[in-house]
Amino acid sequence: MKAVTQVVAALSHVPGVVAAMVVGAADGLIVETSPMMGSSAAAEDPRKHTAALAAYLYSKVTRASEAARLGNPLFMRLEAEHGQICVVGARDVVLVTIVTPNANLGRVRIDMMTAAKGES
Amino acid sequence: MSDPTVAEAWVAAPLRRLMEDARLISGVLLYPTGRAVGQFGFSNAADVMSICALTSAINASARELGRQLDGKPFYEMHHAGAERQVFMARASATSQEFLFVGVFDRESSLGVVEIYFAEFQKALEKLRPDKQPTVPGPSGDFEGELNRSLDALFGPIGKR
Repeated sequence: MKAVTQVVAALSHVPGVVAAMVVGAADGLIVETSPMMGSSAAAEDPRKHTAALAAYLYSKVTRASEAARLGNPLFMRLEAEHGQICVVGARDVVLVTIVTPNANLGRVRIDMMTAAKGES
Repeated sequence: MSDPTVAEAWVAAPLRRLMEDARLISGVLLYPTGRAVGQFGFSNAADVMSICALTSAINASARELGRQLDGKPFYEMHHAGAERQVFMARASATSQEFLFVGVFDRESSLGVVEIYFAEFQKALEKLRPDKQPTVPGPSGDFEGELNRSLDALFGPIGKR
């Protein structure tokens, strides 16, 4: 995978991405993150919570996928009322993006999976 | 997973929530003097007594180490073992300070424990009865304080 700073910078420029993060898969701690797009300074920053819980959720999804004999999950998307969380595993880290409801998910998916594979 | 046992009833709900949300195996909430306030995951008073004494000493050492290395005390510590991990941190409620030590495994993560510990701390601040600190400072009777708090958690010696 490319340098985490480059990965985060590239993903954060994909239309609809509110925040892009590289997160430790085992500890759920943020390794690198982009700023929150469109967030006011007064608003509580959701990135730390999102990172920890998304990494945790991804680890559970991995176990479910393995239990179903499907192998490792390639792409995880959580659709919520006001947006989506996308997660892709990349060895010791997971890539996490928070995206708007009307984002181009195809582009987000390809860019995240490409970044995880280290392809440009 | 057993419910927390507490020496002060107001910490029971926040401790239970922390235990469940952060998926902790065991944990102890104590005053910096080593007096236990609540615990979960232990059935033996001697284990809690050891943990309180060690946590109190580690906290004092870490604070001093932080002061010497960084000019300010270290308040949070994490140790990752092969199977289990230990999280230790300070929590404050109004003017009262507490220490918490918790153990977790692969069913949780440091990030998850940290975010739920932050919520636990907020709950302590919100729920703490409006009164002067219960333990203003070390009384010098460390063993006595420890034994009294263990009696509150596990019952008097002979009835445990």
